[in-house]
Amino acid sequence: MNYSQPSVKTIRLLRNISIISAIFATLLCILIIVNYLQSKRADPLNSKTLITLNERLKANPQDDQLRKEIRELNLLARKAFFTNQWQVKTGGLLLFFNILVIILCLQAIDYMKKKIPVIPPDRIDDFWESRKFSRKWIAGIGIILVMAALTLAFLSHNDLENILEKEKLPARKPESQEVRRSEGQADKYSPGRNITSSPDNNQKDSLKEHGPDIQGEATVFSGTMKDFWPGFRGPGSVGVAYQKDIPVLWDGKSGKNIRWKTEIPLPGYNSPVIWKDRVFLSGANQNKREVYCFDLNSGKILWRTEAAKIPGSPAQPPKVNSETGFSAPSVTTDGVQVYAIFANGDIIAVDMDGRKAWDKNLGSPKNHYGHSSSLVIYRDKVIVQYDQTGNASVMALYGKTGEIAWKTLRNVRVSWTSPILVSTGNRMELILAADPYVASYDPDNGNELWKIDCISGEVGPSLAYADGVVYSVNEYSKLAAIKTGGTPEILWEDNEYLSDVPSPIATEKYLFLVTSYGVVVCYDAKTGSKYWIKEFGNTIYSSPVLAEGKIYIMNSKGTMYIFKADKTFSLIEEPQIGEGSFCTPAFFEGGIIIRGDKNLYCIGK
Amino acid sequence: MLVSIIFLLLVVFQPMITFGTQRFPKPEFETGYTQPDTLVPSPRAEVLAVMDVAVLLIALSVISWIVIKKRSRKGVFWVSLFSLAYFGFYREGCVCSIGSIQNVTLAIFNTGYAIPLTVVAFFIIPLVFTLFFGRTFCAGICPFGAMQDLVAFAPQKLGSRLNAVLGLIPYFYLGLAILYAATGTDFIICRYDPFVGIFRFNASFGMFLFAGALLVSGVFLARPYCRFLCPYGVILNWFSRFSRKHITITPSECIQCRLCEDSCPYDAIDMPRIGKNPENKKDTLRKFVIICLLMPLMVIAGGFLGSRIHETLALVNSKVRLAVTISDPAKMKELPESFEIRAFKSSGKPAAQVYSEASVILKKFNTGGWILGGFLGLVFGMLIAGRLMTKYRTDYIPNKGTCFSCARCVDYCPIKS
Repeated sequence: MNYSQPSVKTIRLLRNISIISAIFATLLCILIIVNYLQSKRADPLNSKTLITLNERLKANPQDDQLRKEIRELNLLARKAFFTNQWQVKTGGLLLFFNILVIILCLQAIDYMKKKIPVIPPDRIDDFWESRKFSRKWIAGIGIILVMAALTLAFLSHNDLENILEKEKLPARKPESQEVRRSEGQADKYSPGRNITSSPDNNQKDSLKEHGPDIQGEATVFSGTMKDFWPGFRGPGSVGVAYQKDIPVLWDGKSGKNIRWKTEIPLPGYNSPVIWKDRVFLSGANQNKREVYCFDLNSGKILWRTEAAKIPGSPAQPPKVNSETGFSAPSVTTDGVQVYAIFANGDIIAVDMDGRKAWDKNLGSPKNHYGHSSSLVIYRDKVIVQYDQTGNASVMALYGKTGEIAWKTLRNVRVSWTSPILVSTGNRMELILAADPYVASYDPDNGNELWKIDCISGEVGPSLAYADGVVYSVNEYSKLAAIKTGGTPEILWEDNEYLSDVPSPIATEKYLFLVTSYGVVVCYDAKTGSKYWIKEFGNTIYSSPVLAEGKIYIMNSKGTMYIFKADKTFSLIEEPQIGEGSFCTPAFFEGGIIIRGDKNLYCIGK
Repeated sequence: MLVSIIFLLLVVFQPMITFGTQRFPKPEFETGYTQPDTLVPSPRAEVLAVMDVAVLLIALSVISWIVIKKRSRKGVFWVSLFSLAYFGFYREGCVCSIGSIQNVTLAIFNTGYAIPLTVVAFFIIPLVFTLFFGRTFCAGICPFGAMQDLVAFAPQKLGSRLNAVLGLIPYFYLGLAILYAATGTDFIICRYDPFVGIFRFNASFGMFLFAGALLVSGVFLARPYCRFLCPYGVILNWFSRFSRKHITITPSECIQCRLCEDSCPYDAIDMPRIGKNPENKKDTLRKFVIICLLMPLMVIAGGFLGSRIHETLALVNSKVRLAVTISDPAKMKELPESFEIRAFKSSGKPAAQVYSEASVILKKFNTGGWILGGFLGLVFGMLIAGRLMTKYRTDYIPNKGTCFSCARCVDYCPIKS
């Protein structure tokens, strides 16, 4: 060991450095603590002022001045918060280096001041005594801990397990009953089940008997939903047609089986709907929004009603993607009125003769591609899925007045899907898909029935449903089969083929997935195993429809692929209308209505 | 030579090639916002993980040689500085041998958990070295110990009674850490790790205070974490008792000069014990026999008590806590909506499933409570019994269990060969 004589000056210098550093470190410590307490108080997410202002904005969403104030205040609060955090972090680093300096100085002093060890003064040997007391202390601590554990055991009662067991039982009971009901009793409302149970014979009778009685005991409707085509993808929006004698052959060029063809005044990607002898659809551009009624027999435009001068309608049109446009949502009808919604949030109800019943603006939806969710009718209500950035909701408006019957906020990201309305055996369910979940609502009051995380991204395809199972899909996400009920359960998943626009379609046995790049995949609906994959090659944005045991899919060039809804692929026909199409066809007894890029076609013998 | 150069280049340039490609195309913004480049997960994995194990092996070999053969405090000091820099600040305190207890436990109780081999190596290698050379890992490899050792400027003696009482804490910490890891609840050693925030320069306020308190108290109470908290220290203590070669104060025969008597800041030097035990021999033997006979009873009683408080212990588990909260609607209304409740609500998970999962966890805690209580009962019994046994010795020797092999005492011994 080197016991060199320490340099007094060096030691003094080191000591002074360490003292100054210690003072500086103490100051830094105090500043860090004060800063931390300040940042706790000035948390921008829990700022009382911002919360109050946000609540005021919720009550009055049109107040742009208030919105601007909130943004400015929010920015200030965040700046203050992050500056605070930067100060704490920088202070922490300074403190660290300060302490390092102190340690180095003290270590150096310690080394330089090292003295020759000296013999410690004689001490009383208290080993035996200490050992005796150590035993007693350990035993004492043990006794204290035993007492503490006993007190804790007494206080906790040990009944948590029983409570949880009790809680488990009532929650499980109805669930199992529900499952029993849906399994034991014929699901008379399930469309897919009945279609596939007798795909080839007497389908209509079967459907009439078992089809989705979507309107239930509707009071205001003038017919049954399943007899017509009341909205996007037909009754309940599940893509099932209950009509028969649907043609499989036509040709746009020669006019074979083309009953009529009429030019549509304004463009739109919405799909036609049919009620009795009338066809409805909408069209819009930046400046104009219209609802059209065509005569099913002649193709003549019976009336066109403009959605204009609607209170609250934004002066500037929203920015939309060219593939969405200003009127992507399909109209819907209950046989009394036609309801249409546009990209700027305008919603309008028109009677069967084109007279405006009511109109309103729901607030311009924050949707970077453009709003595209179609409307659905449930009894006396029109249901609107309004998934937008920051304030997503689903709401029901009274068809008669347009007043809000109920509105449920949804903690989801913006989506482009449309709701489906199905009976799951013992109740009607309104089922919606958007990142991050598929959720079911009671269409009578908007109460959430269940939800399950299984979807993500910019969700475009709507859901498919059959036999108590909902199918959700989206590109960059996954295809999921979800068993509905009190406890939703994912039956199977796949991510090999995914769709970003066309919706899938399901029967009791099969699921048909259509991708926008022209691949169709047939899955076993129960297991998810693939039966066949067919590459058609062309872009497909239209959603498939099941009619008379056949799948109808329209590609973007206007070719309809018709094949058997079976586990072996069997193409029936590939008729063309001679014009591009992005819309889903509508079906009526003996025919199909197809919306082309510019014209509306009626197919039928 | 060529292989060494390639390896060195790999090590140096590995962190530089971390810019990955976007999995999905970036969205286009009209605001002119420039998106930062995304880094793919750390590419440390393979090569550098192997290097970490290699560094651990080399560092342990070097320090064991310094402690046992060179008997150099200065050497220990420099190795500990290196370990602090490498395992502490460069490796950011992870993986550490202390935390690896939890990974090993989880791997034993959960077959679905794949434990990384690096973690296994960090758990086992120090134990193997301890079996041969004593706690050389604590001397200068563990960054926690190295950091505290640096600030032990004015260590004070605590006295055997306080040492005995405070020395109970690591057993509790070890038992709880194993219980929570085995039930998949939490890695409490990592959660309450006081120094990792310093190594990463991102300490939370609580962590900052805890680490500060330990370091400040460490000036007077050398290595408080190692002595009165470290759960890995408990295992090292057991292993070290059987170490083949342990550091000695003197390289040859002790001359009873007493120079080393106050040299150990950790109270880990056993003094010569030649005097007669004033306690009655028969009485001591009787007590020893009673304690030995009571030991099984203490284990059972401890186990019983552990099982009685298993529900309280289980409340640390987030699933159990969630189940308890949602089972009481009145309580749920009173409490502000936590992230857990919001997550539960948005998950669509039925309450019955939460209750069912919580029930399973509670059952595990019941079993775990028995084992934890039994273990603590045994610890109390053994510690008391150990204090009834007398080992007579003539020399000053380091206590094989508690000595950190820091080699401070070696400098105080006038005999150098």
